[in-house]
Amino acid sequence: MENNKNSISVLVIGAGIAGIESSLLLANSGAKVYLVEKASYFGGNIIKCEEVYPNMECATCMIAPKQQELLQNENIELLTLSEVQEVQGSVGDFAVKVKNKARYVNLENCIGCNECFGPCPAEVDNEFEERLSKRKAIYIPCPGALPNAPAIDTDNCLRFKGEDCQLCQEACMFDAIDYTQRDEELELNVQAIVVATGFQTYDLTQVPQYGYKKLNNVYSMVEVERICASNGPTEGQIVLRDGKTPKSVAIIHCIGREEKGYCSSICCMASIKQAHFLKNKIPGLKITQLYSDLCVPGRVYQKFYEEVKESGVDFIRARVNEVKEQGTGIAIKYRTENGKENTLNVDMLILAPAIEPGIDSARLAEILGIPQDEHGFFIEKEPDLDSVDTPREGVFIAGCAQSPKDVPDTVAEAEATVGKILSLSR
Amino acid sequence: MAKKIGVYVCECGNNIADNVDIDRIIKTISPMRNIEVIEKYRLLCSEDGKEFLKQSIKDNELTHLVVAACSPKQHEQTFMNVCLAAGLNPYLFQMANIREQCAWVTSDKEEATDKAIRQITAAIARVAYQEALGKREIDVSPDVLVVGGGIAGIRAAQVLASPDRKVYLVEKSSSLGGKVKSFDKLFTKMESGSALIENELKKAEQEENIEVFTNSEVEQILGFFGNFEIKVVKEATGEEREFNVGAVVLATGFDLMDPKELPQYGYGKLEDVYTSIEFEEMNVSGGPTDGKILLKNGKPPGSVAIIHCVGREEKGYCSKVCCMYSLKFARMLQDRLPEAKVSQIYSDLCIPGKAYQKFYDETRGLGVEFIHGEKINITQNGKGITVKYESNSGQGGDLAVDMVILVPAMEPGTDTNRFAEMLGIPVDNEGFLAQEHQLLAPVASSVEGVFVVGCAQGPKNISESIVQSEAAAGKILSTLVPGRKLELEVKTSEISETFCTGCKTCISVCPYSAINFDDSRKIAVVNEALCHGCGVCAAACPSGAARVKNFAFTQIYQEVEALLK
Repeated sequence: MENNKNSISVLVIGAGIAGIESSLLLANSGAKVYLVEKASYFGGNIIKCEEVYPNMECATCMIAPKQQELLQNENIELLTLSEVQEVQGSVGDFAVKVKNKARYVNLENCIGCNECFGPCPAEVDNEFEERLSKRKAIYIPCPGALPNAPAIDTDNCLRFKGEDCQLCQEACMFDAIDYTQRDEELELNVQAIVVATGFQTYDLTQVPQYGYKKLNNVYSMVEVERICASNGPTEGQIVLRDGKTPKSVAIIHCIGREEKGYCSSICCMASIKQAHFLKNKIPGLKITQLYSDLCVPGRVYQKFYEEVKESGVDFIRARVNEVKEQGTGIAIKYRTENGKENTLNVDMLILAPAIEPGIDSARLAEILGIPQDEHGFFIEKEPDLDSVDTPREGVFIAGCAQSPKDVPDTVAEAEATVGKILSLSR
Repeated sequence: MAKKIGVYVCECGNNIADNVDIDRIIKTISPMRNIEVIEKYRLLCSEDGKEFLKQSIKDNELTHLVVAACSPKQHEQTFMNVCLAAGLNPYLFQMANIREQCAWVTSDKEEATDKAIRQITAAIARVAYQEALGKREIDVSPDVLVVGGGIAGIRAAQVLASPDRKVYLVEKSSSLGGKVKSFDKLFTKMESGSALIENELKKAEQEENIEVFTNSEVEQILGFFGNFEIKVVKEATGEEREFNVGAVVLATGFDLMDPKELPQYGYGKLEDVYTSIEFEEMNVSGGPTDGKILLKNGKPPGSVAIIHCVGREEKGYCSKVCCMYSLKFARMLQDRLPEAKVSQIYSDLCIPGKAYQKFYDETRGLGVEFIHGEKINITQNGKGITVKYESNSGQGGDLAVDMVILVPAMEPGTDTNRFAEMLGIPVDNEGFLAQEHQLLAPVASSVEGVFVVGCAQGPKNISESIVQSEAAAGKILSTLVPGRKLELEVKTSEISETFCTGCKTCISVCPYSAINFDDSRKIAVVNEALCHGCGVCAAACPSGAARVKNFAFTQIYQEVEALLK
């Protein structure tokens, strides 16, 4: 590898918190960074949260300065709507092909005024909002998303379906909408690769016994994050589908743990956080947590748990036997550890799903020639010893693509990939 | 020199123009003092707009610039770059946000225009008093001091050392390897800890630029990021070494809580109650029992209870690794004493991540018993031991065993506090070193250039400790580049020698330990290399001596006065 560190180029795949941290550190060292993100926005899963544990900081406020810094850093090329197609070569000399899908909105002209959304006649479910609200075919996923420019979803845009519609273009004062943009294939040469493709949550319809998508007031934890979000579908109003405020909530932990065969690390804390948030938002709200083992590792998490417990949240070690509709609410039958059968009636049930590797992991594993374990997580070169290396030299992993983990461990891994990459070149 | 202020109002397409009467703004502002030029433009952040602005600054020979447009978050940097290109110091520029704060927050055009005029007037009043500031750089040493020769310290040294970067690795005991070298087996692969350490040390030895000090203490760390002065003393000889480094990595590790503090566990009173470290030692060939698991009477135990979470309640935190190494102990017992009955008494099983539950399931499959119980009482019962347990929900029972292994909470290593005081790094109630930011800066400390890795900042497993070392290396390698200078924060704080009364209030509130006391002159002095310009000292200073550059009282008073006029 070349001696001059200024000449290093690195490909970072995935622009969540891990990809952002790796990119910023690498760029500050003088490296050129290509940050590839498949979505039209960046920031990953964390920007779906209103607040993050244990200090209940506003997640978007916490991440936005890093995102702004990244957008202004001249050493970083953020490629949204992009996917890695091919990787050849070896450490120090990888040839990478990236497909960059057209946004149909010129990022240099667009100022993010959102004037184009109104006239668009095509309305579809907003996936970012867990389909709890609608968006147009030209859209940003949520207010505050970066880069501050919409994209046209060609699957739903009338023009791309063959109709003669140019309402968004007519509404734009800055000539930012360009229907003639084409998908591009970019060829990059990089010395190292960081894979930070993150996680998704377990499909709750795989465990129908919990009533998800069948019973009206059963929600996934991700849906609740968006309901709590001030930039979300209800603008932070915590209401059920019928518009009413819940008076009682149950959170069931570990959904999918048995099926998956591993503990997802962060769900206990995330459940406790949601209880904290909901309790503060709805005075007098009764919250019950049904859990198997509390996983609150490290020096700070247990204190957060104790604080929430003391605020009046019930924690019951239990096995859930049945979830069914009861009037307008939900009845949960469970068995405690001393064998007692009980029923809990609540207005709202929240399910905490297992963490899975991102949907792209299998495709990337093949392109990059790196192995996955039986759950789909990328396998480290030497478990415990080389957690951010993969068996393929020069390809590194960080964050939940490797195993479920919390934000500080994810950021540490991202920083560790930088340590490994910058020490390669000596 | 006369002030020539230029004011440029951006229409932002129709975003501002539709809701703010820009012509009225221009009519109101243009007669004001020192206004050389006031103009509107369709979109100032566009390429054409920036070119127009640059040319106009030059043509009018402006001394100060005000742009009334969007949020500075969006385009302050854009216009600062225009200033640079036009030869105007970018700190003589101020932005007024008339989009997010005026045009977008009301449909009342009159009100929006009134507010915009006030904000622009305030920016004009302020900018006239701003000072030209310049970038400053300092020379730095790329070398690094690593304190603590355990697995975390060894890995940090390995990753950092290179032909142009020397690493000083200081260990207070007689050999490197920390706690891990005395572990016979490590979870989950059940490989030897000493073999792992040997392997790591072999890799470290291949690096020429690591200098190892054993039996040595770091006596002094003075200075700041990029320029620390270190003094190391060899204990036996008293021999001193001094050297300079740019950064410090603290990897001072952990100790276990002494279970004697909790008499209900019987430790120190009952013969066959051991701590986890004592059990580890028992398994090492060449150790006190030469690798045999034996009771005090010399016989192997027929039954063993492993008690999790000893001290968890008292400490108020979960030590994270104990569940996993208790499972490891069960495996070791099953391996060496296949007849022995092994019971685990736990409060919550903490086995996070993709790999640990499998290890648990396998261990359980070997016939190891798992009992849930939080309240424990351990007493002698004839030749054996009785473990009484009860869970918080009231379930309980008794267990008769030959041997008890206590798994005590992890505490910060004994040296941790000494370094916290030496460097001014805050510690939490338990004595662990605090991170700069719990989520976003997990290995940085509040003192720039000092990093905290591994168990010194909280309980961690081997994998996490190593990752943190590599993370600290990443932070250091990306900022302390050999041959490159370090760019300092421009808007730092400064303390007036004339007004400082030496009360030291600023020193006590500074979150970055950036203020020192000059004993000879009896005044506080800001170290600009450490100052982040947060302004806490300026707010706290009772005599008005501390101020942040370009947040001076005059500037702020002028701005507020114009805003309220």
